[in-house]
Formats: sequence, structure tokens, C-alpha cells
Amino acid sequence: MSSLLLALPSKGRLHDQMNKFFESSGLKLSRSGGKRTYSGFIEGIEKIEILYLSASEISGELLKGNIHMGITGIDLIEESRTSASKEVIMLSKLGFGKANVVIAVPNSWIDVENIKDLSEVASEFRSYNNRRMRVATKFKNITRNFFLNNGISNYRLVDSAGATEGSPAAGTSEIIVDITETGQTIEANNLKILNDGVMLESQSCIFSTPSDIWDGIDLGPVEKFLRIISARSEAINKAELFFDYTYDINDLEVNLFRKFNANFSKGSPELGEAITLIVPMSNVTSCSLYLTSLGYGPIRTSQPNFIYNKESISWNILKQSIEKA
Amino acid sequence: MINETNKIIDLLGGTSILAKLLGVNLSAVSNYRKKGFPARLHYKIASLCNERGISIDEKIFGGISRNILPMDSRPIEILSEVSIDIMENLVGKEFELIDPPILVSADKVLDRLGENIADRLYIFSDPAGTRLCLRPDLTIPTCIHYLNSGFTGEKKNYAYHGKVFQFQNPSSDEPNEFSQAGLESIGGDSSLDSEVEIFYRTYDSLKKAGIKTLNISMGDISLFSLLIDVLDIPIIWKDQLKTKFWNDKNFKLLLDELSIKKKFDNKLIYKISDLDQEMAEVFVRDAIGLSENQSPVGRTVREITERLMKKSQELNTKPLSKNTSDLIRNFLSISDSPKEAIKKLKSILKNVDSKLDIKIEIINERIDRIMNLNIDLKDSIFSLEKGRTVEYYTGFLFDFNCPILSNSINIAGGGRYDDLMKSVSSDLDIPAFGAALNLERIEKVIAKEKLS
Repeated sequence: MSSLLLALPSKGRLHDQMNKFFESSGLKLSRSGGKRTYSGFIEGIEKIEILYLSASEISGELLKGNIHMGITGIDLIEESRTSASKEVIMLSKLGFGKANVVIAVPNSWIDVENIKDLSEVASEFRSYNNRRMRVATKFKNITRNFFLNNGISNYRLVDSAGATEGSPAAGTSEIIVDITETGQTIEANNLKILNDGVMLESQSCIFSTPSDIWDGIDLGPVEKFLRIISARSEAINKAELFFDYTYDINDLEVNLFRKFNANFSKGSPELGEAITLIVPMSNVTSCSLYLTSLGYGPIRTSQPNFIYNKESISWNILKQSIEKA
Repeated sequence: MINETNKIIDLLGGTSILAKLLGVNLSAVSNYRKKGFPARLHYKIASLCNERGISIDEKIFGGISRNILPMDSRPIEILSEVSIDIMENLVGKEFELIDPPILVSADKVLDRLGENIADRLYIFSDPAGTRLCLRPDLTIPTCIHYLNSGFTGEKKNYAYHGKVFQFQNPSSDEPNEFSQAGLESIGGDSSLDSEVEIFYRTYDSLKKAGIKTLNISMGDISLFSLLIDVLDIPIIWKDQLKTKFWNDKNFKLLLDELSIKKKFDNKLIYKISDLDQEMAEVFVRDAIGLSENQSPVGRTVREITERLMKKSQELNTKPLSKNTSDLIRNFLSISDSPKEAIKKLKSILKNVDSKLDIKIEIINERIDRIMNLNIDLKDSIFSLEKGRTVEYYTGFLFDFNCPILSNSINIAGGGRYDDLMKSVSSDLDIPAFGAALNLERIEKVIAKEKLS
């Protein structure tokens, strides 16, 4: 049986974040034949061959159907996708490399707050200036699709080689579409993000291509690898919350889920039991205070390293997609 | 009618003069006397004779009519039989056969066609760094040819034949490069004459090439904008309705939205509502925080002020009445045989505005003139929605398809695009009307019809 090709980011911040993620997952990456080579393997998991490529090369190879799996950003996959692309499936979000692709316009456009405004301004711009409004971006595909779906037609894309956020001030475009983690660089350049101007919420994910390259691949090691990866990513930014179920409150389970996205780790609680909740990290405080206000306590919290579900969603997605192909 | 090669050579001035005219050796001309003219010279010989008023028998050129001869750079042998048939009937004396550029400015093409076609274009940079693309059609190159020839509005009739390049989804069996033949009438006034002539030539050449079953569908985009123009609604709604017209989903959303009372989140719209233009501009300057000689990035204070003022007018406007939105919907739903469509149009637009009545009469006259050319339009479709998805045409438009291929695949089509020249050269307002035929598809249809 042949090996599975898994492409990982070879450099930059994505590479560092990915390394940290693998380390925290207990997976040790080794390079074949020295630190500087661009291939490697995962210690303890056989038949998975690792290729180190740039993040944009990884999305390209996935969309061409040349590699089985790869870790890259949603933004890069969406940007490289064309009508000629192979199907690419997201198996699991990995919780790092988070950033948004956004539309930003000059602060001085005080009449523009949302996409509807922008679409009106775009057509007026064309009648005032006899040319289309220019949008500077590195995300041409994403912009085209988003603008098409949102009824903006009177625009032109211009290449942005370096700092996109500087182009309106430089006069090479009127507005921009750019990726940002905090929005600070955009603000610093006297631009504002439209109220509904988040076009894409990106983060690093593991993707696969369900094509005939999977013929003859031993799926055993893949399942193990994916279960570890998704158990780890599931656990990131989650907390466990323990308390004693001293008395009954109607609809407690429903309310906890609605208010705090908190799940009982097993079915409905019974009186006198010790209860475990899985809660997003950001809701730990509010959820704990809610429980104490209801008269429960003490509430103990801790952070899990892994959450292995009975059924691994990412493994199931992969299995089904290969079977279909 | 001269039917001998020898006589033509003599009439053109004899061996040595013709050799000079053609830029060949004397011995070559002696050869022509014996063997006839080679195909690559047909066009040149034909135009030389034309200039001197010598009429030549078609036999001289192997029985092929001279008005189909392509440029001398392109030997006739490479044209397929179907292409020859098409060109022979498509191109008349009034149309000058031209060879427009293959490489065109990518920016001009994108500015014209919009970004949504960008993933179909072959775009690249030349060594000087200029962004170019392989022509995706021959219409824009023909306009460039017109401008490069120094014309600024004079009427010119052009014909062309050549390869165009459009990337296709690899899973489709459409080729990435294919041949187009076509006609363009640029400049002059936008009269019915060139519309009917080009429509007829397109139809006629398809029929004479041997296509048996031909579906015709047509429309006229200009009627919609006229309808919107004459409605008693705020200008900003008119602009919006015309802009959203090209996307059915957004258009329907807009109609719904206009039918309820407007509220705005932007407080400036309320604040500006009592000001005159001058005061409003001062107010806008102040709100942005601009000093006297500063201007906003990308737009002018005037543009921003005018937009806010247009919005503020909406505050005192009643929502779009149900009568009006129904009128627009009913208008767009008309799709019938041309004569029936005219009847329906007249009935729903009765007493709306006399400008509409005049326009409908023009459309009616166009249909009559086409029918007078013995073209049966009984089974054709005239649809008021025709052309909505492509945001390209500005008036009459039509296309032809064949049931044997697929009703959704056009083998030929065309229309009026009066704003095209403006987007190629921004200061010229020149009408244009044209049609293009997809030669590979036509060949396919003819081959399939023969088999069935």
C-alpha cells in the first residue's frame, strides 16, 4: 500500500502555530534526513508522508487533487478555488490562524456604513467618473464571489502587491478588501470596516481531497491521526465545569445550552450526582456565576487537553467522502 | 466580367507593374498567368480590381465570391466549408472586412465586461509590464480598430472573422479557443436600418449555411429604463432599480424594500434634509473634518453630499405603491411571440406616458420590418427580461439557438451597446450595434442535423 501525502506549512507564523498545535497534541514531527529537507513523518504513525509547502501551495495542490490532506487557511482555499478545481473538504478547524477577510472604505465616506450603501456608491461612482470603482485586494476570487452575491457590480479589482491598506491613500484604489486579525492596521490607515463587511472568517483547518488518489491508501493510520487532531482541536478553548447536582431546576439543561453553549457531558443529570459541563472558555465565568446564583456550588473548573468523542466527526466526513468518490 | 487571369494581369498594368504592386518577383507573376492566382493573393487582387472598377468573375477565385475573402495574411484554405458559407452570406459590400488586434488591454476588457468574466480571461503581463489579455470576443477589438483608424463618430460597418479565447470549465466540452464571425455597425445614428440589416444577415447566413431548425429570441432592454424614467418615483429609486435590474434576486429584494416606509441608521441623512446644496456641502465637509482645500479619499465632497441629499428626499417619500410595483413585475413577466408581446405591452402601459407609446411603436416597426423580410417570427419569443443576466446590451438584442444542440446554447446573437465606445474611450458617446456567430457550434449543429 502507498503512503498518504499530508502537506504542512513550511514557514512563517502558520508554521510556528502548527508546530505548537502538533506538540500540544503529543504528535512529534520528524524531518527525513535533516532539518532542512522538505519531507518528513509523524513519529509513531506509519504511512503518512509529510510534505512541507507554503500555505498557498498547499491550497493549490489540494484543489488540483494532488495531495490527500493538508493544513492551510480557509481564505487560501476559497481564494484559489476556480471552476476547474477539484472538490476540497474541510475535516476540522484547528483553532489557530484566525483572521477575517473584510471590506474597508475611507473614513471620509460618511455616507457609507454597509454593503447596500457601497453597492449604491459603486454605481454612482461609475456615472460620476466614467470608470468603475477600484478595489485593491489579494483576494480576487473571494471578492468577486462575495460582490456577485451581494449585488455589487460596478467595480474593478486591482492587484495589490504590498500593503493593501495603503492603496486608497496612494490613489491606486478607492476601497480595499484585506485580511485582518484585529482591524488595527486598517484603522491606522484611515479606513473603516463596513458594518456587515466581514466577507470570510478564516482560520487554519485540515482539508482533504476526495479523489481517486485515495485508492490503495491504508486508512488505519489516517483514522488514528485524525482522531488525535480533532480531539485536540475540540479541547482548545473549551473548559470543564464540575458541580454537584444538589436539587432539580426545570429546563436547566436547555438554559445552560442556550445561554452559554454549555453541554452536559452525559445525558440528563440525576439528583445527588456530580455533573460535568463542557463550556467554551469565554463563557466559563458567566456560566459559573449563573450556576452559583441558582444555588449550586462550589463550581470547579479545569481545562481538558483532549476531547475524544465516540464518533469522530472529521474521520466520518473523510470516510464518507472517500466512499462516495 | 473578366474571367481570365491573363486579362486581369494586363488590365492591372502588366507583369512588371503587378509584380511591384504585389511585392513579388516577375517570375511569380508569369507563374500566375499559367496557374492562376494563389489563394493568399485573392483579397489583394480583388481589392486592386475593385479600386480600378474591373469586375471579375468568381471563377477566377475558384468559384468563391470575392466579398468573403479574408485578409491577405490569412489564406482561405484554412477556413472550413461552413465558415466560408457563413462569411459569404454574412458579409456584404457595405461591410469592410477587418483584422482587429488579438492582444487587448486587460483593463479595458475588464472595465467593459466586469469582474465576473475575469476567471474566463487569459490575462498576462508583457515584458514592459502592461496587463494584456487574449481577446475574449471581437467586439471590443473592433471598437479599438475603429478608434485607432481615427474615427470619432462617423458611421463604419465592419465585418470580422477570427479566433477568440475564453477559458471554459474543463468538465464542459466547450473549447477554450473558438472562431467567431460577426458584424459591427459603429457610429452614425442608432437607426433601425442597421439593426434590421445585421439581424437579417445573421439569420440569412445561418439559414443558407444549412441550419434547418432555428429558434429566435429577442428583447429590448431600453424599454425597461424608459419605463423607470417615466415613473413618478424619487431619482435615487430609479438609479437603484436600474442598477439592481441585472440581478433578479436583488431586484426583487429591492422592490419589496421600496414598498415599506424608509428608515435610515445614518443620522446624517436626517440632519442634511433641511439644507440646500451649498450648506449641505459645508455640513459634509465639517462632518468629515476636512479643511478648505482638502478633499476626501477617492470621491468628492459633492458626490458624498449629493448622495446624502438624495437619501434624505426618501424620508418624505411615500413607499412604492402596489400599483407601481405590480406594473413593473407585470411588465417584466411579458414573454410571448413578438406580436402578442407588443399587444400585451400596449395594454399594460396604456396611459402611462406617451414616450413609452412611441418606443413601443419603434419596437413594433422593427418587428414588422423583420417579418417583411420573410422571417417567420410566429414561434419566436420576445421577452422583456431578455439580456437581464449579462449587463451588456442597451437596446434591441437577439439570439439564435438550435433545439438539436440545446435551447440554452446560443449559436449566434447580438444587439445594441451604445455605451460600449464610452468604456473603451471614455469621452466618446457613439452608438454601436453588432452580432457574432460561433462557427464551431454552427458546424456542430449542421453535422448533427445531417445525422438525424
